[in-house]
Amino acid sequence: MNKDKSAPTPRHLLDFLGIALAVVIIGAYFLLPFVIQPERGPSTVAVLTESKNANELGLFKTGLEVVPLAALGMLLLGLWNVLAPGAARAISLLMALAGMLALVYYINFFRETALGPPNEWGEGTIIGSLGIAFWIMLGASVAAALQALIPRSVPAPRYRLAKLFGNQESVILFGLLLLMIVIGLANPRYLQERNISDNLAGNAYIAVAALGMTMVIVTGNIDISVGSLVGLLAVISGRLVVAGTPAPLAWLAPLVIGGGFGAMIGFLVAYLRIPSIVVTLGMLSIIKGILIIWAQGDRVRDMPADYFLSQMRPLGIPMPIIIMVVLTIGVALWMRYSATGRAFYALGGNVEAARLSGLSRRRLVMTVFILNGLFVGVASVMYSTQFNIIQATPPPALELSVITASVVGGVSILGGTGTAVGSTMATLLLNFIRSAMVFINVSPFWLKAVQGLLILVTVLADLLRRRRQRL
Amino acid sequence: MQSEPRNPTVVEKLRRHLISQEGVLFIIMLVSVLFLATRTDKFLTVDNLLQQGRFMTEVGLIAIPMTYIIITGGIDLSVGSILGLTAIVLGWSWQELGFPLELAIGAGILSGTLAGFVNGLFIVRVGVPPLIMTLATLALFRGLAEGISKARSARGYPEWFFELGQGEFLGIPTQLWLLIVAVVVFGIVLARTQLGRALYAIGNNETGARFSGLTVNRYLLLIYTFSGFMSGVAGYIFVSRVSTTRSDMGTGIELDVIAAVVLGGTSIFGGTGSVAGTMIGVVLIQLLKNGLALSGVTSDATIVVIGSVLIFAILVNNFIQTRRGGN
Repeated sequence: MNKDKSAPTPRHLLDFLGIALAVVIIGAYFLLPFVIQPERGPSTVAVLTESKNANELGLFKTGLEVVPLAALGMLLLGLWNVLAPGAARAISLLMALAGMLALVYYINFFRETALGPPNEWGEGTIIGSLGIAFWIMLGASVAAALQALIPRSVPAPRYRLAKLFGNQESVILFGLLLLMIVIGLANPRYLQERNISDNLAGNAYIAVAALGMTMVIVTGNIDISVGSLVGLLAVISGRLVVAGTPAPLAWLAPLVIGGGFGAMIGFLVAYLRIPSIVVTLGMLSIIKGILIIWAQGDRVRDMPADYFLSQMRPLGIPMPIIIMVVLTIGVALWMRYSATGRAFYALGGNVEAARLSGLSRRRLVMTVFILNGLFVGVASVMYSTQFNIIQATPPPALELSVITASVVGGVSILGGTGTAVGSTMATLLLNFIRSAMVFINVSPFWLKAVQGLLILVTVLADLLRRRRQRL
Repeated sequence: MQSEPRNPTVVEKLRRHLISQEGVLFIIMLVSVLFLATRTDKFLTVDNLLQQGRFMTEVGLIAIPMTYIIITGGIDLSVGSILGLTAIVLGWSWQELGFPLELAIGAGILSGTLAGFVNGLFIVRVGVPPLIMTLATLALFRGLAEGISKARSARGYPEWFFELGQGEFLGIPTQLWLLIVAVVVFGIVLARTQLGRALYAIGNNETGARFSGLTVNRYLLLIYTFSGFMSGVAGYIFVSRVSTTRSDMGTGIELDVIAAVVLGGTSIFGGTGSVAGTMIGVVLIQLLKNGLALSGVTSDATIVVIGSVLIFAILVNNFIQTRRGGN
């Protein structure tokens, strides 16, 4: 993050280009099929192209899968652009890269279709048979590239390539793009919408838990009990709904109980002054024990159909992705602009200075743990409604995944730095790495080793970057 | 640290010992043992206690270097994975590579030491915070263990191999001797040598220690390597005790170890702590587990008690130490 975050510079209209582009692309993605075939109701292009009458719709199965991904990337980029004005050009460059990547795949998919079994869609020339996604992506990347060239009203700091890697978000994003290019070239199916959305939806709960963790670590604390708590809250929620509680109440209960646990941890840390790692180490055992004794290993099943929040797809987008994106944006803005959010950074950066500026350490620590409890509650609902069965054991090593995501996302374990966007992108990166292994036929036995190595590489890249900045 | 020149009386000495970190913990331990002894007559027997000594050796051995590391303000989360890696390298080099068993044991412990050395090297040379470095190698070393073993387990060791893990020497489990020797030696090293004092200095003020001319980097590299070595030895004992090697051995042991160290009065922020306190922590946890299990409490319920004891003990200690500081 750049230094002038406390004094936002005047906004140029172009700064919002990324967000605008994303909105246009997402809109086209959902509205086009709706316009063409209104009776089907809102649905994504890709879903339609999988149906039999894709041909009649005039939609080609040629890489439309990439569109939502590129749009999501642009949305995050655009948001970040607004949040960190100094990094605008670096972001433009990355946006152009994301667009180019999408194009490469677009053509790649097309080639696969064209060279595959004879199809009736071919219209002679390659360009002629490229579908609407191609033209959208072409426009987007040209616009993004333009954004880097157009002189801006606010003189940006002198542009250097090194600036591209000026913060952790861009390092992660670059890693994500690189991963997709390399793995996608080896196996194009890796970039199919189905794989990508399964990946995003299946791990969104980790990203949500990582948001809470990011806030906790920013204040210089840590919570290693999240894995057990997610397990316990998931079972509570499941049992409630099986016992006849209406689904919305069963979704709400984990939030309340999670907040309660958070308050308890916060009280022990803030008022009784026990280090948070010790408190949560104890809570890890306590909560896990409660879960095992109370659940007796019985998995929860036979939940009513309206309970499965994570399986819902409003507008064709899986619910977990919506929750993840909304919460990430919300937390990013809140951490940056709210007084409490700024106070978290102040507390993590320098406790003494924060105290002298009149911030109440106790109240802030209490707040951050309650917030973390709420996020764990949300994560547990996303986890429990994912499948038809809720396991009566905590998800294995979840706390490590969550902490790793936060840390890889640029949160300094010593407190004071870190962003919500970074932590969510890191969760995505880690899980895309995991699923990439399957697509390039890495032996499952070596999966964890490669994963550990890549985490190490990410952490090292971040450290080297920071070191260079310091010099 | 009183400034009056007169010698403290015996009562004062006793009192000071009693309200020290270790003293408070020791009292908590005595109370728990007495309480558990009233619940079941199988608990306070020599056989049972020795058996528990066997079970706690691995945690105890790793807890020694962990105490050192936490005193310097660091942490090592990868010990469980190093234990697993050691066990796998031992079994694999013996069964697949055809090493003689003695050499395989050496290779196992060497790989553990090397793993610890890698941790230390990155922490010292690249400046990766210990928590992050060992979090990454927690996944990496476990992954290596899984990759090397390919889910196969090595068994069928000769009789002498089990001597360390299952045998007895002078009526006491063999590995317990090892633990006792290690505790005495490394306890003295921490309390009475230049190395030990340096660790406290680093934990209290690393920059200050550097400016005082201490070779901080060398000390840190040494203790992380030492941690890998002890985890390796623990891995060997583990294999010898359970007669087989599997890649998931030692999963989660890092939390047991850290809990024991913290329970033993070592501040997680560094600067204070002792091997004696850590050992009381290890023993307390093991006795609670065993005593509660014998009293008919399910093993899952015992972890609730242990978690509560951890928080409670730190709370009581904080309270007493603050009072003492106030006086």
